[in-house]
Amino acid sequence: MESFRKIVGKSNVLTEYEDRYCYAYDATAIGDRLYLPDAVILPETTEQISKILKTANENKIPIVVRGAGTNLVGGCLPLKGGMVLHLSKMNKIINVDKNNLQCVVQPGVTVEKVQQEVQKRDLFYPPDPASLRVSTIGGSIAQSSGGPRGFKYGTTKDYVLALEAVLPDGAIIKTGGKTAKNVTGYNLTQLLTGSEGTLAVITEATLRLIPEPEERKVLLACFESIEMAAEAVTGMIYAGITPSTLDLMDKNTMQTIEKFHKTGLPTDMEAVLVLEADGFKESVEKQAEQIIKICKELGAKNIRSSQNQQEADEIWFARRSAFGAVSRLRPNVLTEDAVVPRDKVPDMVKEIRRIADKYSLTVCIMGHIGDGNIHPNFSLDLRDKDEAERFKKAADELFDAALSLGGTLSGEHGIGAEKLPYMKKALDKRSLELMKSIKSAFDPDNILNPGKVV
Amino acid sequence: MKKLRDYSEEIYKCTKCGLCQAVCPIFLETGLETSVSRGKFTILNGIINGHLKLNKKIGKYLEMCLGCRACFDFCPAGINAEEIIYAARAEYAEKYGVNPIKKLAIVTLNLIQGLRRSGSKRSSHSFMRFRVKPGMTGSGKIAYFPGCFDTSAKAVKTVLEKNGYDVYIPKGFSCCGMAARSAGDINTFNKLMQNNISKIPEDTEFILTECASCGSAWQDYPENIAKKAINIYKFLDKTDIYIPENAKYNKTVTWHDPCHLARFQKVSGEPRNILKKIPGIKFVEMEEPGKCCGAAGTFCITNSKVSLAVSKSKAKNIISTKADIVATGCSGCKIGIAQGLAGLGKIKPIVSSIEILAELYSQE
Repeated sequence: MESFRKIVGKSNVLTEYEDRYCYAYDATAIGDRLYLPDAVILPETTEQISKILKTANENKIPIVVRGAGTNLVGGCLPLKGGMVLHLSKMNKIINVDKNNLQCVVQPGVTVEKVQQEVQKRDLFYPPDPASLRVSTIGGSIAQSSGGPRGFKYGTTKDYVLALEAVLPDGAIIKTGGKTAKNVTGYNLTQLLTGSEGTLAVITEATLRLIPEPEERKVLLACFESIEMAAEAVTGMIYAGITPSTLDLMDKNTMQTIEKFHKTGLPTDMEAVLVLEADGFKESVEKQAEQIIKICKELGAKNIRSSQNQQEADEIWFARRSAFGAVSRLRPNVLTEDAVVPRDKVPDMVKEIRRIADKYSLTVCIMGHIGDGNIHPNFSLDLRDKDEAERFKKAADELFDAALSLGGTLSGEHGIGAEKLPYMKKALDKRSLELMKSIKSAFDPDNILNPGKVV
Repeated sequence: MKKLRDYSEEIYKCTKCGLCQAVCPIFLETGLETSVSRGKFTILNGIINGHLKLNKKIGKYLEMCLGCRACFDFCPAGINAEEIIYAARAEYAEKYGVNPIKKLAIVTLNLIQGLRRSGSKRSSHSFMRFRVKPGMTGSGKIAYFPGCFDTSAKAVKTVLEKNGYDVYIPKGFSCCGMAARSAGDINTFNKLMQNNISKIPEDTEFILTECASCGSAWQDYPENIAKKAINIYKFLDKTDIYIPENAKYNKTVTWHDPCHLARFQKVSGEPRNILKKIPGIKFVEMEEPGKCCGAAGTFCITNSKVSLAVSKSKAKNIISTKADIVATGCSGCKIGIAQGLAGLGKIKPIVSSIEILAELYSQE
């Protein structure tokens, strides 16, 4: 411990029980399980992280990196104790380079802050995880997180050009580069993106930016069934329209939101689509017209279209209230993240409902219908052991259902600790072995986020 | 007053989503999980389920809350951290006593009131002739609670009188009790409250406050009293404010929303409306006008380093507006803003909107 204090200074190493108790969780609902780290370290520079890792590696001390601790699959939990590296002090934007459409940032800066800063120069960083007001760039790269805009703009992985990272032995590597194209060797940048803190500690990132769209318009379209909503989405694809957001909420979600916030959602409808179109002003108008036409043709009962920013904000407020509303229903929320091919969304929704009914669980279904990433939010009380057990069984069946529909375990939350048991079902043996050998090539002593991913 | 244990379900409801990190002024300065509501709920949950004991270390963490309620507004689960943390502080104070520095501050506030009482010129029984204005359904009697640090009392009287109201300032008020409440000193709070209530004549229809903290303390008094208490900006907003002909106030003004006004009493548009009605004034919004000033009562004494950092961040937003004057409606905020500006080497007059109105009237 003394050597860590020497590296970062006494005040940046927390060892008291009460401090460690506050780093034993992330946003995953883990009930009464408790994973205490032995210490929490708040580094301020890459060099400090390099020294910390070197020391930890020599002494085989586990290292768990933490950004804002918003992970939903136990990614920040120190399962085997060791050190939590909290990167809240490395939160600077180093530069925004408009000519080359990129910016360089430290890992602890929030996604929202990056978006705000680049927007000042009419640039756009599209990835928009729901937690973007607090979640950090480092964390979202480590998880390759997505968000509603994934349908048109892709996810975090599509916006990482270069990384500086520290390996377990303390070596500092630089992957990728400042160029938009780069095929020099294996793509280590993409390997680290989504590696969930198991291969290296990301200490700096160069992000790809695009020009800020001139205009945005939000639409809300109500349908009498999920199938009809899904057909409308297919209709849009066939018409050559790419909305920047294609989100879905089911009846239960809308009723739950209206219970706590009066947002004017149609609680008698089975499904609502939240759509956003962006681009040049004229293009947005045309897209909106076509979206409305297609939705009407395919049975939409009611379509709301934002005429100004305030109305757009109101629709988004309703959509963003979903998680909060579910969390007010019962004390714990478990958000699942299985993803299926886009055209299998209605089947997946049916399966989710069937499984929830079978195990008498309350579920609100919402998510990104455009990319097949549906989030069933289960509202329950983990202190009720029977209910917790029923949820576990339901989750098992849910993953089976997603896999049998040609989908996979996670669209954007990651594997972490919670989905590790299902990896064997999702991947073939050789792929898993390959992943394990990649892990040991980077981290032979398994000190980085042990017990996660592979 | 509810006990910590009465909140155990609320505390358990925290889903650990961590969104409070986005708005907690202390977290933004310290970056420590223990200083944000999610961390505090975890600790308090630990106390309730027996993992942790309410010790001095935890007492220190409980201090690390400005009570600004920014996270309450933002919390998806709708948990009022400020209320829960105050309950926890009360429990801590029962066990270990009230923080001596805070105790000293509470005593000092009462001393100020005591001095005022003995030599006060503004306590007066002469305003017993009340005019009933539209919107008043009862007696029309208005009592004004000036508060400890109040510098606006004279201005308040001028403004109310110019607008056709008579105001009565009862003798013998003590401090509103907010400092005691936030320190967890519930006994003192109750004593101060009872004294203040006893000074209000029964047929009073409105109890006006200008200071945001005093106003929200009165909201914590028993319901029959609390419902009579109203902030002066809210009170005046319903009326046509008197603007003297040819009077002008040619200055650029920005408004800082006191936490105890905007979030505790839901008053934020009203003081702006008044400012915007003043001829000659150029009103500019600062960035994050509702972010806490960092003073937070005794916090600026007990945690001066963090307090100053929060105040400086406020001051930066003020300076960027290039306003000549900072207007606000809380004696605590005036301290916070002043320390922030001073920390950045700037001085700007910090006044209440009522004082600006009074100055306008003085041009007549």
